[in-house]
Amino acid sequence: MTPDTTAYMIAGFVVIIGGILVYVLSLYLRQAKVKKDALTLHDYEQDV
Amino acid sequence: MKKFFNAVLAIFWKDLLAERRTREILGTMLVFALTVILVFVFAFDLSVDMRSKAAPGVIWVTLCFAGTISLNRSMSLEKDREGFDGLLLAPIDRTAIFFGKALVNWVYMLITAIIIVPVYALFNNVNLFSPGFIGVIVLGTLGYILTGTLLSSLSLQLRARDMLLPVLLFPVLIPLLLSAVRASTILLQGGIEGELSTWIMLLAGYDLLFTAVGLLVFDKIIEE
Amino acid sequence: MTDSNKTPRLLLLLDILAGLGVLAAFLLVMLYAPIELTMGRVQKVFYFHVAASWSGMLGFLVATVAAIAYLKTNDLRWDIASLAGVEIGMVFIALGIISGSIWARPVWNTWWTWDPRLTTTLIMELIYSAYLLLRGGVDDPVRRAKLSAVYAIVGFTSVPLTFISIRVFRTIHPVLVGSSDPSLGTFAMSPRMQAAFFGSLAAFTLLFIALYWHRYRLGSAQSAVMQKRMEIEAGGEQ
Repeated sequence: MTPDTTAYMIAGFVVIIGGILVYVLSLYLRQAKVKKDALTLHDYEQDV
Repeated sequence: MKKFFNAVLAIFWKDLLAERRTREILGTMLVFALTVILVFVFAFDLSVDMRSKAAPGVIWVTLCFAGTISLNRSMSLEKDREGFDGLLLAPIDRTAIFFGKALVNWVYMLITAIIIVPVYALFNNVNLFSPGFIGVIVLGTLGYILTGTLLSSLSLQLRARDMLLPVLLFPVLIPLLLSAVRASTILLQGGIEGELSTWIMLLAGYDLLFTAVGLLVFDKIIEE
Repeated sequence: MTDSNKTPRLLLLLDILAGLGVLAAFLLVMLYAPIELTMGRVQKVFYFHVAASWSGMLGFLVATVAAIAYLKTNDLRWDIASLAGVEIGMVFIALGIISGSIWARPVWNTWWTWDPRLTTTLIMELIYSAYLLLRGGVDDPVRRAKLSAVYAIVGFTSVPLTFISIRVFRTIHPVLVGSSDPSLGTFAMSPRMQAAFFGSLAAFTLLFIALYWHRYRLGSAQSAVMQKRMEIEAGGEQ
């Protein structure tokens, strides 16, 4: 008799795919922040 | 080769001499180790049967905790009094510093072990004497000290200093600790003989591996 | 800004391929691979669980190789490469551990067992957490690179020993988990399962390369900004 473990399957995939998406988002946010910092520094240099 | 050996011994004697004058490190280690044992006995309310069963675990954990004291102190002594600069200026191989420091810390560990094992046996009325057990203590503390000396010279250069040493050291020590505790348990309480040789081999392998790692990377840590 | 700040074409292509690959692997797992009889649908987690753990191990391996390369060359780019490997390794291994736990719950009737693989991966997460703490404790980039490279090597050296020692420990002291049938967690793979399995592995390898590349670029951009900031500060003092 095959048990119904659908709920666990969904939880497993949500964790893996969700986790990857969260990491991608964190990469994106950090990259955006660095870009902003680089621009700020660039402008600052122009002013001085 | 002989020059290297002399350099190791010179560092070893230098540290022992300093310790003989202050008795700071060994004293602290011993008092601390005895306190830890006491805490274990009360915390687990060890019955007579359990006292002997728990002996290897309690002793190894105690040694690990006490060891961080000497590892941290013997390195930060150099840092505080700028002894490291002197050592680095000396015309010796940098790895001699590593082995000299490891040797002195190892001696502290062995002295601590020589005292706490009989104390544990006496207070808890269990027999902990076995030649094999002594061998396991020698091999186990050696591996501990090799990894510990390497990582304490590393953690010394961090902002938080000695705070991070246990966090860096203990996860790396797990295979050593597991092998030492299992081997001690078999020697003291009996078990499968074939299993013992596996654990001893793991201990020896750990020691060899970390001697090699120490040789290869130590000079990278301390070069300025 | 300069051209180097734009995402390279090849990386964009890789991103698309990795995304499509994971999607394809997901469909393969869901629609093509059969439902395992004794475990039911949850067994499908296995494909992504192994693939994620594989990518995690790749990350740690790359981090160690980069650490060795750093000590040999003293080129700070290797430090960025090492950190990128550690970070991605930690993310994927964490996902592997959690998804494994979810799989184990219905199959082994427990969230956790102290089996060699589980225990070793947990200890690895501890070692690399310590690695990140170490990095946080040094300000000078060159010293940080040097010390963390040494720790990456020391940490990785102990991993195989940890695995072996726990394996010896476990084979002598087996734990019964839920069922008396030890083979309950294992199964033979049919060809369709193998397709899903290797498909997932390939997809996650692509995903790893794409993420790693992005993380490396992030690291170099961060260090470039740091460098510039320090230059400006030094200039301002004059």
